[in-house]
Amino acid sequence: MREALSRIERDFAEALTGAGSDTRAIDAVRVRFLGRKGELTSLMKQLGGLPKEERPEAGARINELKRSLQGRLERAADDARAEGQRREIEGGAVDITLPARRPWSGSLHPVTATRRELEAIFRELGFTVETGPEVEDDFHNFQALNMPQDHPARDDSDTFYLEGGLLLRTHTSPVQVRTMLERQPPIKMICPGRVYRRDLDATHLPMFHQLEALVVGERISMADLKGTLEAVWSRFFGTRATMRLRPGYFPFVEPGCEYDVSCTVCDGSGCRVCKGSGWIELGGAGMVHPAVFEASGVDPERYSGFAFGLGIDRIAMMRHGIDDLRLLIENDVRFLDQFRT
Amino acid sequence: MLASLKWLRELCPVEAADEEVVEALTSRGLTVDGVEARGPDRALEIDVPANRPDCLGHLGLARELSAAFGVARADPPPAATTAEEKVTSVVRVRIDEPEGCSRYTARLVRDVRIGPSPGWVAQRLEACGLRSINNVVDISNLVLLYTGNPIHFFDFDKIEEGLIRVRSAEEGERMVTLDGTEHRLTAEDLVIADARRAVALAGVMGGADSEIGEATSEVLIEAAWFQPQSVRRTARRLGLSTDASHRFERGVDPEGLPLAQELAVRWLAELAAGRPLSGMVDARREETVPGPVTLRLGQVERLLGYSPDANSIVDALRALGLHPKRLDDDRVTTSVPSWRVDLQREADLVEEVARHCGYERIPTSRVALHSPDDRSRSNALGEQSRDHLAAAGFHEALGYAMIAENEDDRFVPEGTAAAMRLTRPIAESLSVLRRSILPGLLRAADLNLRRGAPQVRLFEIGRVFLPPTQEGGFPAEPLRAGIIWCGPGRPAHWGGDAAAVDLYDVMGLVERFLASARPGVTLERGPVARAAFHPGRSLAWSAADGRLLAWGGALHPSIQRDHAQPLWMAEIDLSTLLDEPFEIPQYRPLPRLTPVTRDLALVLSAETTYASVIEVLHSIDAPAPVCFDATDRYVGQPLRDDQSSLTVRVTLSPEETTLKEVEIEAYRLELIQALAQRLGVGIRE
Repeated sequence: MREALSRIERDFAEALTGAGSDTRAIDAVRVRFLGRKGELTSLMKQLGGLPKEERPEAGARINELKRSLQGRLERAADDARAEGQRREIEGGAVDITLPARRPWSGSLHPVTATRRELEAIFRELGFTVETGPEVEDDFHNFQALNMPQDHPARDDSDTFYLEGGLLLRTHTSPVQVRTMLERQPPIKMICPGRVYRRDLDATHLPMFHQLEALVVGERISMADLKGTLEAVWSRFFGTRATMRLRPGYFPFVEPGCEYDVSCTVCDGSGCRVCKGSGWIELGGAGMVHPAVFEASGVDPERYSGFAFGLGIDRIAMMRHGIDDLRLLIENDVRFLDQFRT
Repeated sequence: MLASLKWLRELCPVEAADEEVVEALTSRGLTVDGVEARGPDRALEIDVPANRPDCLGHLGLARELSAAFGVARADPPPAATTAEEKVTSVVRVRIDEPEGCSRYTARLVRDVRIGPSPGWVAQRLEACGLRSINNVVDISNLVLLYTGNPIHFFDFDKIEEGLIRVRSAEEGERMVTLDGTEHRLTAEDLVIADARRAVALAGVMGGADSEIGEATSEVLIEAAWFQPQSVRRTARRLGLSTDASHRFERGVDPEGLPLAQELAVRWLAELAAGRPLSGMVDARREETVPGPVTLRLGQVERLLGYSPDANSIVDALRALGLHPKRLDDDRVTTSVPSWRVDLQREADLVEEVARHCGYERIPTSRVALHSPDDRSRSNALGEQSRDHLAAAGFHEALGYAMIAENEDDRFVPEGTAAAMRLTRPIAESLSVLRRSILPGLLRAADLNLRRGAPQVRLFEIGRVFLPPTQEGGFPAEPLRAGIIWCGPGRPAHWGGDAAAVDLYDVMGLVERFLASARPGVTLERGPVARAAFHPGRSLAWSAADGRLLAWGGALHPSIQRDHAQPLWMAEIDLSTLLDEPFEIPQYRPLPRLTPVTRDLALVLSAETTYASVIEVLHSIDAPAPVCFDATDRYVGQPLRDDQSSLTVRVTLSPEETTLKEVEIEAYRLELIQALAQRLGVGIRE
């Protein structure tokens, strides 16, 4: 019996070594020795043929060997699996420096991106976003805005007229008029959109983008205008901005002003962005002219309001460091691709 | 306007440094855009707003400096000595059109000698951007620059019967202005005439045959007030914008005419040895005093958000040349100086107070208004579309609303109303309003291909303009998305070649776009009714209600010919899409059973469409909810030329009970049989 056990153990060791890290071969070794008809199993079955007093000891020895073989088989199988996995990983490694299979990236036009940025700020401040037609009539574009026929301020915006008398709006202000005609204050709105002027040179395109804001309510003052400008531009530039109002003339506001923001690039000390002045000129503003209220069905005795405007294209150029206006309308993909989303 | 700093200091002797003067003007709304040395003088380039014609002369600017620095203006020069002879006995003035001319003054200077101007005149003119011509012409410019009131000199010998008439031109009347141009006038034009013919276009330009010349010795001086609208209409219609018309259009000071006359007379005597007649012909309607305007003191605070005290308000108005009187505790009333055409109502006075006290005193506060029932009416679909197309790899382009005439004719259905035309386009290529977004994108694609771009993917979201259907109406301005695509259909990669874009790429892009904008929308494909597209490689999509949502495909060969690479385009009508119901996706319980698939390998003849195959498949009752999908298509050996092989995957999704193999097989056979019987489709085993 003892001899038989030593032989099995020797044969087993040899077989297991032979199996190496091949899991199927290892399993075959298990079947050969520990399977139902395996060598050790058969030995167990022969226990009955031994004299009674030898049986316990022989049984114990067989069991001990069995446990030992089982343990060695498990370790071999574990090693084999680990070895297999290692080989699998090694074989599956790829060059991670090769280019990825990437979907295309498109882009939003810088004017769109800037407009959205501004719109988001105004929405956060409680403004609604309104739109109106780009083809307007004389009433909404001029007369209601205190620019009657033959008003000299009409020179400032040489107008594209259409055959039949309509025109392409020269500013987004008609949207303010339309909104006021449609509903009573309180009104707190912006109107972004395309506008058209008969101009084409290095600093003017015949089509460009404006955004105007209008706030009408009881007891709205220029102080509110200043505060709103400060809130908008501080958010836009991401830092506390100081506003400067200067007297300025626009027929649809009184008092009227132009507004500048302290240059956030140089903190007012003068740089390329502010052309050395420390201030960035952003647009016109003022208190809504009573004549505009009257034309728009709002009682100027009960309500007051402010309005201001800005040019989205110019702000987009400033924001992205674009130095040539024509790039905005040329649609060169090498330009557009720089604004990937 | 260009102003001489030296002249300003003469008119208002402020001691402040030049920089302070510049700053004062700017902070009062007369923005100094530049300062330039001109000899011993400095020229200020001042941006004078359209409502301040009084500041189109040094006198008005000096008034502002006087208010700003609290320094009194210098006295006007003493009157010139005059001859006994009275101008009223020599010159007659008749105003036939009092609407167009409310005041006309005339003086006469005899024995004028034309010659060069002295140096100080030339220097002063130069500082204001003008060149010296001769003493008489220079004097008329000096008076204009001093007062802001344009004056005109006539050669009195050429004025028939010594009569000046202010009348409407006769329809078709002809006149040569002193620039040598002949004009054909209309009854809308106001002219200055003598007994016989027109001698000047009122407020715009003098006539050639009454012009001052070398031989002139009798100078008739005109200083008048002409109606702004009338001058503007004539100046614009004839394309004559002059220093005079610029000022008359904005409104000159009717009470400033005597001063303008006096200066002219004085300088003609001084610089041209003239002999002025005494008196002045002054034809006018009765004097109209503007105002009074009442200011409620509370309005200052209401509009500015702060208020100086009542005395400061009164002082501010007084400093600006107004004559305020306290009516009671709350109100001030004031007459308005004749030169301040812009001061008409209360709000105008509030601005004057703000200007005088300084805009920097306006405090900062933050308005918190709520209009809870108001919602933005901006087009969210436009924004979604931008995001969607950018994420799909397209670059957003910007196109003009204007295109060349006929440029979009083939991009709109035949019979569409003609594009709206601009009356005065800036270029031929920008002369009508687009009815389709695509022509602009086509231009952009060409530009990129010319510049060597290997591929172009652009989109634009914008409005097109469909002419009004009724007289006097507005055009419809539907919002559209336009797409242009050339190059590969998907990104190139070292792992495999990317095939060129084809119709199925375009279809995928458009259909996915439509489905994401309006989940649940049912799309019907049909032919495109637009001549720009290749009839065999394009399609249109309609909603279940038949409304057209989008169209796209390859360009028609006759257009494609002119472009460097095959171009694919699509246009989506966002405004129509917006009207389609937006179905919020509703939850359906998840199936507990796994789906079963079977592939049908079919052999189709050329005329059998995929849609007809699917239609037949759908007509057979399925043992469970089913869907069909093409998974492979093959053309070539060993198939005949007119055949194609198509693999259709059948996916059954049982809901309650697992399907038995026999049930599935029976269904499969039924499908094959139906295809064979109804379409003659064979099966490839």
